[in-house]
Amino acid sequence: MKPLVELENAARDGLKQLTAEPEIEAAEVFVAENGTLIARLNYTSHIPSNGLEEPKSLANIGVGIRAVFNREGKRLIGFGSEASDISETGVRTALEKARESAVFDPEFVSLPKASDTPTVESPYHDPRVLELAQSDFTDAGWSVIEGALNVFESSEELLGVAGDRSRMAELGLIIGGDVTMLQERMAIASSHMPAVQSDESTLAMAFITAMIEKEAAKGGGWAAGRGLDVDFAAAGREAAESAIRSIRGDRVDGGTYNIILGPYAVTDIFNHLVLPVLGLELFYAGATPFLGRLGQRVGSSGLNVYDDGAAPGLAATKRITCEGLPTGRTDLIRDGILVGLLSNHYETQRIFRDVDAAEKLGAPPGQYIEGLAPRSGFRFARGGGRHFDTIPGTSPTNVVIHGNDSLPLEELVKRVGDGLYIGRIWYTYPINGISAGDFTCTVIGDSFRIRNGRMAEPIRANTLRINDSIHNVLGNVIGIGSKQRDTMVWASDQIVYAPEIAVRGLHVEGIAQHSENA
Amino acid sequence: MEDDLQSRVGVDYVETARDIVRDIVTGWAKTLTGLRHCDIRLEVQQGKEASVENGSVKQAGDDYSFAIGAHVLAGNGALAPGYAGNMLGTADTSRLGPAIKEMLTTAHARAVHSAGLKERARQRFPTLGSSLADLTWAPVPIHHRTIAAQYETDPLGVSLQHLIDIGSEASKAIAGLGNRVVYNVVWVATSMIRELFVSSDGIDIDSEYAQTEALVFVVAAGQEGTLEFYDSLGHQRGFEVLEHGVNSGPIQLPNLYDFSVTLGKDTLETAAAPAMKDTETDVTVILDPHFSALVAHEIVGHPSELDRALKYETGYAGRSWFYTSPGCDQRGEQVASELVSAFSDPTIEGYGHYLYDHEGTPAKRVYHIRDGVYEEFVNNRQTAALFGVQPNGSCRATDASFVPLVRMTNTTFAPGTTDPSDIIGDVEQGFYVSGHRIPSISESRDNFRISALKVYDIKNGELGRLYRNGAVMSDSKNFFMQIDAMGTDWRLYPVPNCGKGQPMQTKRMSNGGPSIRSVARITGGSS
Repeated sequence: MKPLVELENAARDGLKQLTAEPEIEAAEVFVAENGTLIARLNYTSHIPSNGLEEPKSLANIGVGIRAVFNREGKRLIGFGSEASDISETGVRTALEKARESAVFDPEFVSLPKASDTPTVESPYHDPRVLELAQSDFTDAGWSVIEGALNVFESSEELLGVAGDRSRMAELGLIIGGDVTMLQERMAIASSHMPAVQSDESTLAMAFITAMIEKEAAKGGGWAAGRGLDVDFAAAGREAAESAIRSIRGDRVDGGTYNIILGPYAVTDIFNHLVLPVLGLELFYAGATPFLGRLGQRVGSSGLNVYDDGAAPGLAATKRITCEGLPTGRTDLIRDGILVGLLSNHYETQRIFRDVDAAEKLGAPPGQYIEGLAPRSGFRFARGGGRHFDTIPGTSPTNVVIHGNDSLPLEELVKRVGDGLYIGRIWYTYPINGISAGDFTCTVIGDSFRIRNGRMAEPIRANTLRINDSIHNVLGNVIGIGSKQRDTMVWASDQIVYAPEIAVRGLHVEGIAQHSENA
Repeated sequence: MEDDLQSRVGVDYVETARDIVRDIVTGWAKTLTGLRHCDIRLEVQQGKEASVENGSVKQAGDDYSFAIGAHVLAGNGALAPGYAGNMLGTADTSRLGPAIKEMLTTAHARAVHSAGLKERARQRFPTLGSSLADLTWAPVPIHHRTIAAQYETDPLGVSLQHLIDIGSEASKAIAGLGNRVVYNVVWVATSMIRELFVSSDGIDIDSEYAQTEALVFVVAAGQEGTLEFYDSLGHQRGFEVLEHGVNSGPIQLPNLYDFSVTLGKDTLETAAAPAMKDTETDVTVILDPHFSALVAHEIVGHPSELDRALKYETGYAGRSWFYTSPGCDQRGEQVASELVSAFSDPTIEGYGHYLYDHEGTPAKRVYHIRDGVYEEFVNNRQTAALFGVQPNGSCRATDASFVPLVRMTNTTFAPGTTDPSDIIGDVEQGFYVSGHRIPSISESRDNFRISALKVYDIKNGELGRLYRNGAVMSDSKNFFMQIDAMGTDWRLYPVPNCGKGQPMQTKRMSNGGPSIRSVARITGGSS
């Protein structure tokens, strides 16, 4: 990767170049370089496999220009970018694309302006990831496989199920998932913020699934951090141990149950159903189940959710957004009340000028200046990175969920009494559209019965479907766990620090009655 | 400045790059130690797009993307794959050769290092390490081909303003349907894409195609809140797709204006309809071809991807109800009523059309289900070799910087023999399910709940009341085995957003089917 100073110089020189153009009223130069290193795993004991299936990378560098053109008294906004060239020529090419594509947007007010300064102290990333050797992430991938194989090979329980060590492979042991490392460098300068700002960030994640297929037992393991200190092998071990715990799983009858959602299940629900509909753009569009409910109760008292891109020590912390604005904490739900939304500069400016804003939000935006601040303007794309060729969207970073009275798991289990512990769910989608709040998903592993206030036998993977509503999940909380796990789901950009949450009366259906794969 | 603009990379650059790539892949790459195979994929997309919100243009662009991907199979002893992918730009054209060599070197280093660790794992784990294999690619015919794009109106000849205008007209028309339309977005794009595949075994394929598409999103207010619908228009043709629509066999697509207005009206009508309530038991359901298309996608297409069947996607997109383990799969078994046949065919016209996949394998029709019996998976060269079958040309990536994956193509139920009006007319009581919306599928695809844009009840052979928020829920095999009518009204629809892989790759394809009658639960809302 290029040194950060080269990106900073390119942003500074690019801005000078743009401000010299007579037609340009304001401009922003965003220079970024990204590397995504992925070790994708596929080990199968019963089918020949490579183990590490895809050691691979995606790399890009370039410049993106946003410019406001004044043409015959009319203000037009345009965006253009150029890959692989952050020189004067690259900036000029990007500018010409911005000029050619400039449009009149009556809702555009201005390019981002900072009213605050970044508070994050460096270093909050792992510089070793930015200079990673070819072998490092390949090693990390294999360490996950070896971690899981160590658990499988030494498991007495697995040996008991197989009957004989030579028959262990016939159980259909699977290790899948990936180790992903993100390398991000960016610099930004604009007419409104001419002093160049820059950022370096790294992220290292392992997202692992292990399965004992013959037993329909599936377990998950994961780890996230800023760099090479992450214990990748532990994620493999955790997945294998979880799968072993799920052996001899049984079916559960359909019905209504009190359910403890494990950290991964909580993350899946928030990732697909809650965080997307807390984007300010969906309130503008009228397409959120929380339409008109800012300042109102959307969850049980004691439930708190915030996004904090500046949190010390958390994995997805960054110094500035991809708009050059300070990252920071946005409280979304406080004690069950909706108090803030995820936004970028464009959306915040737009809602403050929308005559229907109070109706869409549920309160005049002026009452929620902090809650609607543009702290979430990122240019995430392609599975990771801050991309020069996209305009800022709205994305969370470190999402933290916690309770007022956090409880140990044993207490949650007691409160549930008789019910279910659901650890991992899948295909969790807003089945009737994002506005309705209804969702459905299937239970794919790490799940158990709760009987008489105690954790009991495992639930067979892929035999249950949850059909319910996000309003019931948020509004019927029995208790919130005291331990948060750093979790992520497939194809998400944020890390969710999720506790276990016990919920009253969720509806499940038994499925796949005759399937050999369930 | 004019010179700079003229020198931007365009699809024609692939022609220039072809010789450079071929020389490196079939010549220089042989100097890499322990090399068994390598290939380079290079792709240029050149096109325009615009996004219009509530009749007001928000964003437009006229740009190119230039991507490259390297794949190496190598090792000193054990054998392993390695990859590298980059986004390139015009500045790279002067140093394309060194850039390709660098990427192959990187991919090679990863492969060799991984192969060494594979060997170590075999030794460390005597019981479970023996399945760590040196997987290779099945051979395919060595072809050299140049394939031209098909279109009437060249995407590169369309002005950006014209694209903005057609999007604006559609968006304004939706907004003009009434004040219960609270929001709409129309995104439009037209482009040319040219892909080069060159491999060390001598394959050299240069394919070009046009792609024109739109996505329309509408939010309408009803008495019980807002409702949002979205749908896509798209085909591998020129700008005529948006201006005039498509009328070609099973592909019957309206022009952008009519498509947008129809979706807007449907959203308005359905937002005002009562919410569906769950049925207690299975009932007779009739799927229209648009809904059947998503069933074909989720319940036939995905589980027919051999990498899923062989567990590659266990941590992500799931496994397959057509395959459990070696010696225990559904090939040759009855998985559906004998009325049901389904296939993937990239050689037919469609959003997922191609003649060679991204491993250089010639495309062909693959029958998944014929007369109710499961037949064949779509595969790539590695999984074909592993499974002991011939490669059938079904491996593709979103762009050249990504690793190609086994993908369904134009995947569809085959047409049946029953007049669609008879399929409804024969039903005393049931539900007609129209237009697919959102799927939620169990991990091996053996159970599904898929929501519809609209659900009507059927009484005495006639459509009755319209409901919103209805969905079909069933175990897959139960549903398939109880199909008692397949219509003659076969249609293929564009599906623009099929996600798979890590990082997630979004791929375009066609899916389709005719009207289908079976039994299932109908579900409503929980809120």
